Order: sequence, then structure tokens, then C-alpha cells
Amino acid sequence: ALEERLSRRRTAQEARSLLRCRRAGISAPVVYFVDYVTNSIYLEDIVDSVTVQDHVNSVQQSGHDTSGLLVLAEKMGELLARMHDEDLIHGDLTTSNMLLRPPMEKLDLVLIDFGLSFISSLAEDKGVDLYVLEKAFLSTHPDNENMFKVLLKSYAAKSKKSGPVIKKLDEVRLRGRKRSMIG
Amino acid sequence: MELTQPLELFPGHNVTLLLFNRVRNAATLRKKAMEGAVEGALINPAMIVDPFQILVAANKAVHLHKIGKMKTRTLYAEIIFSLSPNNNISDAFKKFGISDSDTAVLIVLVADGEKTVNLEDIASQVEGQQVSLDELPQLTDTARVKKMYKVTPQEEKIGTLLDSIVCRMSTKDVL
Repeated sequence: ALEERLSRRRTAQEARSLLRCRRAGISAPVVYFVDYVTNSIYLEDIVDSVTVQDHVNSVQQSGHDTSGLLVLAEKMGELLARMHDEDLIHGDLTTSNMLLRPPMEKLDLVLIDFGLSFISSLAEDKGVDLYVLEKAFLSTHPDNENMFKVLLKSYAAKSKKSGPVIKKLDEVRLRGRKRSMIG
Repeated sequence: MELTQPLELFPGHNVTLLLFNRVRNAATLRKKAMEGAVEGALINPAMIVDPFQILVAANKAVHLHKIGKMKTRTLYAEIIFSLSPNNNISDAFKKFGISDSDTAVLIVLVADGEKTVNLEDIASQVEGQQVSLDELPQLTDTARVKKMYKVTPQEEKIGTLLDSIVCRMSTKDVL
């Protein structure tokens, strides 16, 4: 029964976050149907999409247009800034949870997998959200450190509340922990 | 002329849409629907942008019907309620159901393997002209729809009006 309740709560959170994203103009899949019996969400299929992870890896391997990756990083920073300005914490930011809709040159990003998302206005939670992405990013794309720097710069420029968030991010890095110290 | 589509999640279930224009007896139809004498959901086509919107509503209604968790008393009432972005049942009927002065009516029928639908029967009750679902866009009141579903300008940039509508229909019980 507890399993059921937790599952249901996560499903509801995910559905709520997806709607919240779309209302704010943040690209996320459209929700077609939520089944609270099996706790499953039927979503839009982003056809022919590629994860940012796969895209970065393939561009890195091919060696050309690596400068395009920096533009991608800028867009990622902007997207996350908008999401955090809506007080939406993704909870599981990785480059495999970001999709690129074809054609790739358009850099049309779609955020997915909001199963661990929640709403918070705290800079701490946003800082941790970015920290999770940083760790994931640096371990999957170790040769693209520059990308993350550009992402953060873009985030800081775009988000209206970025000051405290970046400060918290620095603090979290020093602590070396992935978890929020609240509660 | 009518449009029939299966419900992917409920094999054997089909949804049929019939569209009528130049309807003269909307008041009678509405009364009959309220009495439960019409086997179908009578919907105001001005509020519908695409047949998919109806499918999403029907899918949810059939799902809730099967698990005994409908908010309204009949499957057809539930379809109308599912179209609404909020949880107010009477508001849903007022906005998405037909009014006495309407001249266009969209009728939705659901058939499951055992129960078949009688299209002629329904069509004969409508004093109007049956037209193809291709004419639906001409009957849609986009401004009214946007207002009803409270679609934001940012949202319009990342998807279609149908996307915004479906999202709200499917997540309204979570809000």
C-alpha cells in the first residue's frame, strides 16, 4: 500500500511538472493520458529525436562542428534558467534526459523524465539540480568541460534569480554532496 | 461521412463522431439528452479543435468507467466532463454540451464489442444536415477555446492548440 501511494504520488508529480513546463513555454512531451491504476503516463513520442548525450558524443567523435556544441550549451543554460525561474526542480538532470528534435541544427531541446521533479523556490534546490547535471555531464562528456562552463554562464545571464543559485552551487561543490541539506 | 476510430488502449472499443450543421431542433435534442433518451454525447463543435480531443476524452471516460471511478453518472456524460479543463461538472455541460440556440452538433458514440451503435437511429433524431468531420475546423471558435483552456502565449510557441488542450484534459485531476 505504501509502494502504491509513493508510486501514485510520483506519477502525479510528474504529470503536474509536465503541465507546468508547457504552460511556461518550456518544451516537454505532451501528456495524453494518466493511468492512476498502473501509475503510467502516456506521453507524446518525440519522433526521431536524439538525446543530447548521444548528440554530443557523435559530434565529439566526428570532430566537426564542435563549436556548435557551445551554442547548444548556451541553449541548455537558457532552458534550465527558464525552468528554475518557474520554481521547477527537475531532480534528475543528465544529458540523456534532454532530447533534440530534428533537424539537429535547430537545437530544439525537449526536457524529459520528470519522475523526480518537484516545485521549490529555494536556491539550494536549484543549485543541487545544477550540481547533479554537472557531475553527470563531466563524467559522460569529460572532454567537453567547456560546454558546461558556457551552460552556466548562459544560465546565470538568463535566470532572474541566478545569483544565489550559483552561490549555492559553489557551496554544494565544496561539500561534495549531491543531496540538499534541508530537512 | 462520420468518423470512426479505435481506442488503442481499449481493443474492441470504437469511437464514432457525427457532425451536423444547420440543426433546427437543438433545444429538443438537449432536453432528450438530459433525460437520458439519447444514446450518445451531444457536444458543441465550437469547442472542439480536432477529433483527437474527443478521443482523449473518450479514452479517459472509458478507463474510468471500467474501474468504476467516473465522476458523472453515464459514460457519455463523462466524455463531456473529460473535455473540460476543470473539475466542475455543471460548467462542463454548459460549455461543452449543446445549448438550445446551437445550430451545429457533434455527436459522439462509443461501441464496445458487445454493444453496437445505431447511426441511423441517432441521425434520424437530428433535424439538420450531416456533414463530414472535415468541416469541423470551420465550426471551431478558436478564440473561445483558447480562453476556456487558458492557453498561454508561451505555450503556443512550443506546440499546437491541440497539444495545450490535451495536456490540460489529461492532468486536470492532479491539479
